[in-house]
Amino acid sequence: MSELSETQSVATTIVRSKRTVLPEKWFAAVLIGPALLFILVIIAWPLVETVRLSFMEAGLGGEKFVGFANYEELIESKKFHKTIIRTFYWMFLSVGLKLILGLIGAMLLNAAIPGRGLFRVLIMPPWVIPIAVGCVGWLWLYNGQFGVLSGAGQYLGVLDGPHEFLAYKKSAFYSAVVTDVWVGTPMVTLFLLAAMQGVSRDLYEAAWVDGAGRWYRFRRITIPQIMPVLVTMALYSAIFTFNSFDIIWILTQGGPRGASTTLIIDTYKVAIGNYKFGEGAARVIVIVILLGAFAAVYMVLLNKLLRRYGSK
Amino acid sequence: MATLDLNQVSKSFGAAQVLHDINLAIEDKEFVVFVGPSGCGKSTLLRIIAGLEEATAGSIVIDGEDVSTAHPVDRGISMVFQSYALYPHLTVYENIAFPLRVQKLPEPELDEAVARAAGILQLTDKLQLKPGQLSGGQRQRVAIGRSIVRNPKIFLFDEPLSNLDAALRGDMRVELSQLHKQLDATMVYVTHDQIEAMTMADRIVVLKDGRVEQFGSPMDLYHHPATKFVASFIGQPNMNFVPATVTGTKGGLGVDLEGGHQMVLPVDTTGITEGDRVEVGIRPEDVALGTSGLDVSIRVLERLGGATITYGTIGSAETRFCASLAGNAPVEQGKNMTLMIAPESCHVFNENGDVLSRLGVPVPAK
Repeated sequence: MSELSETQSVATTIVRSKRTVLPEKWFAAVLIGPALLFILVIIAWPLVETVRLSFMEAGLGGEKFVGFANYEELIESKKFHKTIIRTFYWMFLSVGLKLILGLIGAMLLNAAIPGRGLFRVLIMPPWVIPIAVGCVGWLWLYNGQFGVLSGAGQYLGVLDGPHEFLAYKKSAFYSAVVTDVWVGTPMVTLFLLAAMQGVSRDLYEAAWVDGAGRWYRFRRITIPQIMPVLVTMALYSAIFTFNSFDIIWILTQGGPRGASTTLIIDTYKVAIGNYKFGEGAARVIVIVILLGAFAAVYMVLLNKLLRRYGSK
Repeated sequence: MATLDLNQVSKSFGAAQVLHDINLAIEDKEFVVFVGPSGCGKSTLLRIIAGLEEATAGSIVIDGEDVSTAHPVDRGISMVFQSYALYPHLTVYENIAFPLRVQKLPEPELDEAVARAAGILQLTDKLQLKPGQLSGGQRQRVAIGRSIVRNPKIFLFDEPLSNLDAALRGDMRVELSQLHKQLDATMVYVTHDQIEAMTMADRIVVLKDGRVEQFGSPMDLYHHPATKFVASFIGQPNMNFVPATVTGTKGGLGVDLEGGHQMVLPVDTTGITEGDRVEVGIRPEDVALGTSGLDVSIRVLERLGGATITYGTIGSAETRFCASLAGNAPVEQGKNMTLMIAPESCHVFNENGDVLSRLGVPVPAK
């Protein structure tokens, strides 16, 4: 009898405990709630607010609904079109250089060279030191009167006289690219190095026994093996570079005469510099759409590459 | 024809010498297995033959040609790695075709060679899959396929079965033996598994601490181990070593085994005098239950159905003694038993671990 009642009481406890526990989906909701709230406040709300603002003529004096006027202005503005093209040019050039240099750097750091550990540490500073500090250093380098580059150029006979790199349209733009590449390459290098170190030594030895040369091994083993990391790094780097603000702002403020103005610099100048919040918001929406489209194309490409180079 | 000769091959990594003056003459179409415990230098020796490592001294001669400094591809060897070393991003077809692509072989010939290898290894319907979609045994076959298409003079295998489970290992052993007959090629195979060595090899090289302990046929090694190390390494379960004192050297070696059992063993007694300490090696399968002989107290009993393995001790020093008896042997854990030992089945090792050659052992059929 006592055994029976014991069983019964165990059964009731189970039922009761079932009742007191939250249903699974509510429990999940409670767990993700804080993070969701955070995202809503930090990302979703400002985004909605930006969309709203982009339909306003908004400044220090208040807001007025203007419909698509801000967007129409952007569509018609030749200057804005140029800025878009310049931004993509800036991005592709800088990311391309970062990837190429990163690949070469990773290969060298992965090779069995003496002092490899030291070199691995030595590539870190551009990434590790604050960007503002690094950029001030570059400001000195680019300076026409006492800059090293100008001096070296004159000494080697490349330059006729002192050259103020940041004062001319072309050299200012490319100087900004160089500095951006300098800052961005170490991260790419380290990620690619990590990917290369993950490639089994046996694969290289097997290929070597089969007579594959250095270049063949690089092309048919290393590149396919690090492809997922390479592609992901390219996307990361592209988005960072597209939105890179600090380097250009510190070096040129987008000048001279807009020669190094990218979308993000343009947006800042309009919205914060000229207090035209509505027009600035419209630019932000354009950036979001462009980057969204870019990322979508990229993801399709990535999936294709992963299918081709993956192990399944 | 593909013979392989190693002459005085030594290898040092810094101050550590891992191979000492290795001399081997491997004949054409022979299946030779390098066996030994971890760190004995067997893989290093294979890598030296492959050209992945360079010998510190000595020469490697393939088919009469000194290839000591030749590039692996010029040695006419191919190697199957322990990890298989398949290219994960390439299909089975491309993996097998890889060496031929390196050689820039024309497409029709390449296709034919891959199809032939795939046929031999039963991979024809797997050619478009990637290694990640294959089982361990199939991956192993792809790795072998990659070496077959090279048409090498000598196949090198570096512990190719150690990543497979026991059942699959057994199957692959049989497949590899068949492949050897089918390809009719010289093969050098490294393993730490003495069963693989015994079952597949024409001849076995037993290595210890970078030295060749013995080079001979499996049955040679089993019946005539040159040293205590070889005797302990070959055979499953391992040979028992019972300490003994020499009581006489006339008409055989008189010994007093630990535990009080006395025997006269038919071995060469040259250099042995009365009172010397020796060790008598007795294989677990060479004993039988009897009424007089060695007394063993049984500690653990394993009934495998076909056989009964007992783990026990003898004498007051508790020397361990393992015996393999009939499946239905009337023995019990915790009890004592008496084992009869045929004197001609015993091996005797002197204090250096060297064998005293056996007299009148039946010559094993090859």
